[in-house]
Parts: sequence; structure tokens; C-alpha cells
Amino acid sequence: MMRNDPIKHVFIWPAVLVVLAISIFPLIYSFTTSFLSYRLIPPIPPRVVWFGNYVTLLQEPRFWNAILTTTLIAFIAVGLQYVIGFGVALALNARVPGERLFRVALLLPMLLAPVAVALVARMIFNPTMGPLNQFLSMFGLANLPFLTNGHWALGCIIAVEIWQWTPFVILMMLAGLQTLPEDVYEAAELENASAWQQFWGITFPMMLPISATVVFIRLIESYKIMDTVFVMTGGGPGVDTETLTLFAYQEGFKKFNLGYTSALSFLFLIAITIIGVTYLALLRPHLEKSR
Amino acid sequence: MSGQGLTGLSSWSRRFVAAGVLVWCVITAFPLYWVLVTAFKTPPGVVGGPTYIPFVDFTPTLQPFIDLYQGIRGEFFRTFLNSTIVGLSAAAIATAIGAMAAYALVRFEFKVRFGAGLIFFLLALGGYLLFSNNLGFTRAQALLLAFPIALVVAIIANRLPLPGPILGNEDILFWFVSQRMFPPIVTAFALYLLYSEIGRLGFQLIDSFVGLTLCYVAFSLPIVVWLMRDFFEAIPIEVEEAAMVDNVPSWRIFLGIVVPMSMNGLLATFMITLAFVWNEFLFALFLTNSKWQTLPILVAGQNSQRGDEWWAISAAALVAIIPMMIMAGLLSRMMRSGLLLGAIK
Repeated sequence: MMRNDPIKHVFIWPAVLVVLAISIFPLIYSFTTSFLSYRLIPPIPPRVVWFGNYVTLLQEPRFWNAILTTTLIAFIAVGLQYVIGFGVALALNARVPGERLFRVALLLPMLLAPVAVALVARMIFNPTMGPLNQFLSMFGLANLPFLTNGHWALGCIIAVEIWQWTPFVILMMLAGLQTLPEDVYEAAELENASAWQQFWGITFPMMLPISATVVFIRLIESYKIMDTVFVMTGGGPGVDTETLTLFAYQEGFKKFNLGYTSALSFLFLIAITIIGVTYLALLRPHLEKSR
Repeated sequence: MSGQGLTGLSSWSRRFVAAGVLVWCVITAFPLYWVLVTAFKTPPGVVGGPTYIPFVDFTPTLQPFIDLYQGIRGEFFRTFLNSTIVGLSAAAIATAIGAMAAYALVRFEFKVRFGAGLIFFLLALGGYLLFSNNLGFTRAQALLLAFPIALVVAIIANRLPLPGPILGNEDILFWFVSQRMFPPIVTAFALYLLYSEIGRLGFQLIDSFVGLTLCYVAFSLPIVVWLMRDFFEAIPIEVEEAAMVDNVPSWRIFLGIVVPMSMNGLLATFMITLAFVWNEFLFALFLTNSKWQTLPILVAGQNSQRGDEWWAISAAALVAIIPMMIMAGLLSRMMRSGLLLGAIK
């Protein structure tokens, strides 16, 4: 039941005002700036170039490289997070021995500062003094170029992302698993359905709405990745691991190329929106069927 | 809450699954263990190759922490204090006003005309362009002028019978949550420019407590509103209805009944927000430079400052990590009581 009371405005306006102010201001500011040629260093007075910045950007290979890198990191990391996270959640839900201890340990990584995690990762991935190098040396794979080779570095960043964010998937999937009705499984049990059949026939379809939400949240968050890369490789070697946010940071904060950076962040916003909408459109039919 | 899906497995495959989880646990725990022991190592304990067990492999020392406290690698104590102050205040403010908004969205009916929203956006944009290009105001002044004008006009316009769809509570909630989808770089960079222009008007926001906290509050609100709405929806409305019969005003119902009943949810939301602010990097990177620098910035800087001094790097990382480890312990206790179940439905 909904009430109607003038006091509702007192309740909602503080939050609305803060969010409006912090989101609309910058939006208008960078939207208008993106049509200007505007630099602070060296100072050039703003000049209207309309879509000039956008055209330059779309022809810039470094921009496409950043998009590709970010997409690779996001999709591979989130895919693996989902598979591992779902698996571990299933196991925890089935009360494997020692499950209680696991829960605290498994929650930890997602609460830790990504910069601190990235620092630790740098030590572990050290090609000469790191523990991973020692471990792999036992198999004759000494001194691998973990962070100095483009492909390896990308792999390492993805590994760190998986390490840090799989707990989030575990947490959400576990909460979802616990809401599933029991009687369906009892019925399946009577029909002698194997565990494998039960998973694909009952668990997976019933978990689809939650899965979709979890993957969506992780995907959007992964596209914003910056701190991990900033500390681990700084976008290097060269620009091999440069993500969109890092690219924007370099252009904006190092070169103070304001118009260009604003255009870049708007393209980023458009890209995120397209990915989000496509994802939801692709999934909608499946979600409705399972209800 | 029973063990579904795996109950049909033989004891052999159960062991197999348990082993798999154990492997993941080791992968999760090893880096944490590593940073913990490395922080107590002496320089020779690091350079000689990886060592794992204190007292056996190497002699532990407290020197890295003493160095940290004495500020040899940057003002750690002060930065830690900054992070704590900004984190606690931003989380408290965000939880308070976010919970209020969430309650309003659950219990009261709101109607926003789409036309009014459109008018707000167009007036804000148009007013800004008009003020800055034609009337000779600076860009920051123009924005600050255009915003209230657009807001007032939009509120008045909302009372008029405008054509177009009417948005309800669900749409307002969606608007809140969708703010989280925004790539923060869009906001961070523009906010940096805006803050520095406001600074030129004589009110310093860059590298200030107010500027940083305001921005963190705004960015935590979507999550707070989203989480708190579920907690409030779970509260049976009968209690509130009984109070309404006795003519208790709404604000007293909220403070006296609803808030105590959802204390667990508020606490969890507060902690999640605190973790988010504590770990946040991008905004702090743009909006602070010395006085109000937060821990993640200082920790990230350790990397380049003096090469591979792992003992110091580990100690720095530990300082940033440990408060959150304690929180993880608290949160997991709440999680066991089924607290987060409601949050995802």
C-alpha cells in the first residue's frame, strides 16, 4: 500500500539532489566540451570543432586497441569468474566438508583495495624472485616474462581480476541457490534424474535470472577497470594492456587535452550503453521463458 | 536450504568436489599469506629468492612497519587518517540519505512526468550554453546558475498536465541504479575540471574534505538505495499501519519503527559502502593531490618510488587491506544469518 504524505519530499530530495548535481553537471560539462578543441597545456582558447574530436578518435589505432584490450579483459575474466564462481557456490551449497571456513576466506578478495591486490600480484608475478616463478621452475618453466610480454601481461591482469571478483559471483550465486524450492529436486530424485541432469534441467534454468544479473554487473564493472592495470603494468609494455579508462586518464590528466578526453569518455559511455542494451535484449527471451 | 544438486553424488565425487573447492581456497589464500609474511621480512629475506615460513626461512622483523609509521615512504599515518575520515563520513551520509530515499520509494507514491525531466535536462544544457557563451559568465558560474533555474522550472512543470508518459517509483529507482553504470572516468574528469573552476571562484573543492566526500556520497547512493529498498520491502507493513492509525507522523514511524527494525540491513549497507569508498582509486586520483590523499593513491605510488623493496610494499599493502579483512569477518557473520538473501531478489 502506498501512502501519500508531503513529507515524502523531505525523504527523497537529499539523495536526488546529490546524485543530480554530481551526475548532471559533469555530463553537461563534458558533453559540451567534447565538441571543442580545448587544451590547457599548452593553453589554446577553446574553438568549436563539432565532431572533429570524435572523428580523430575513431581513426586513432590506440583507441581501438584500448577497446579491444578492455573487451578481452572483461569478457574472458567475467566468463571464467562465472564458471568458477557457480561451481564453488554449488559445492558450498551442497555442504562440502569445511564449508564454514571457506565462506570467510572466499569473501575476502572482493573487499580488498584493487591497488593493494595489484601490488601483491606484481610481487607474485616477479620473473626472478617471485614465488610463482619458483613454482613453475619446478616444471622447467623458469623466468617467464609475466608482465613484460603483452600477451602474458594481459593474462596476468585477467588472472588478478578473476582472483578478486570470483567471490562476488560465489556470494550472489550462493544466495540464489538457497532460494530454490526443494520439492522440484525431490520430484527429480524420484524420477532417477542424475545430478548432471538435475543441474541442466532444474538448477541452471532456475538460476538464469540471477546469473544474468551477476554477469551484467560484473561486465559493466569490468569495463571500468583501471587501478589494477595502472599498478600492474601501467598499460605497458607499450600500450599492450592499456584499457579505455587508462587511455582517457593519460590523455586527460597527462596531456590536458580536454576536448579530446571528453569525446573519448562520451564514446566510452555510448559503448557501455550499447553493450548493456544488447546484453539485456539478447537475454530477455530466455529470462521470460524460465519464469 | 538443503544441499541440492550434489546430494545425489557418491561419496567419491563429493571428495572430488571438496578438493576442487580446497584448491580454489588455496589460490585465494596464498597471495594474502604471501603479503603477510613478506611484510615482516628483512631485505636479505626478500632478495635471496622466495621464502615462506617465518623463523624457519627468514627472521621476521617489525622494521617495515616502523618505517611506515615514521613516514619514510610518505605520510602513511596521515593518509590512513584521511581514508578513515572520508570513508566513515561518506558511508554514514550515503547510508542515511540513501535509506531515506529508499524508504520513500517503497512506501510513498511518486509521479514524475517525463516531460518535466526533459525540460530539466534541456534547460540545464541550454541555460549553461547561454550563460557561458552569450552572457559572459565563467563555465562554472554558468553551470551553478543553470542548475537551480532548470530544477525550479522542472518542478513547476511537473504540476502541469504535460503530454508524455508518467514515470513512477520503479523508474526513479532505475534512474538511481543506472547512475552506477556510468563509466566513472566521464564523471571524474569533468568533476575535476568543474571543481577547479569552482576553486577559482574562491571555494576550494579539489583536495578538500567536502569535495571528495560529496563525490563519494553521490557514487555510493545508487548501491545504498538499491540494497535498502529490499530491506525495507521485507518489513511487514502492518506495524506501520498500526502506528498510522494512532496518527504517528511519518518521520517518527521511520525513525522509531523502521530504522530499528532494519538495523542489520543498514549496518551491512554501511559496511559495503565503507569498503567501496576505502578502496576507491580513480576519483581520489583526480580530486586529491596532497592534503586529502587517500590510502589507495599512496599505496599505488609505492610501486614506482623505490623499485623492489618488497618488505615496504607489503607493509603498505597490508595497512590498506587489514581494516577490510576485519570487515569481511563481520560481514560473513551477517551473511550466515541470511541477511544478503533478500538483497538480490
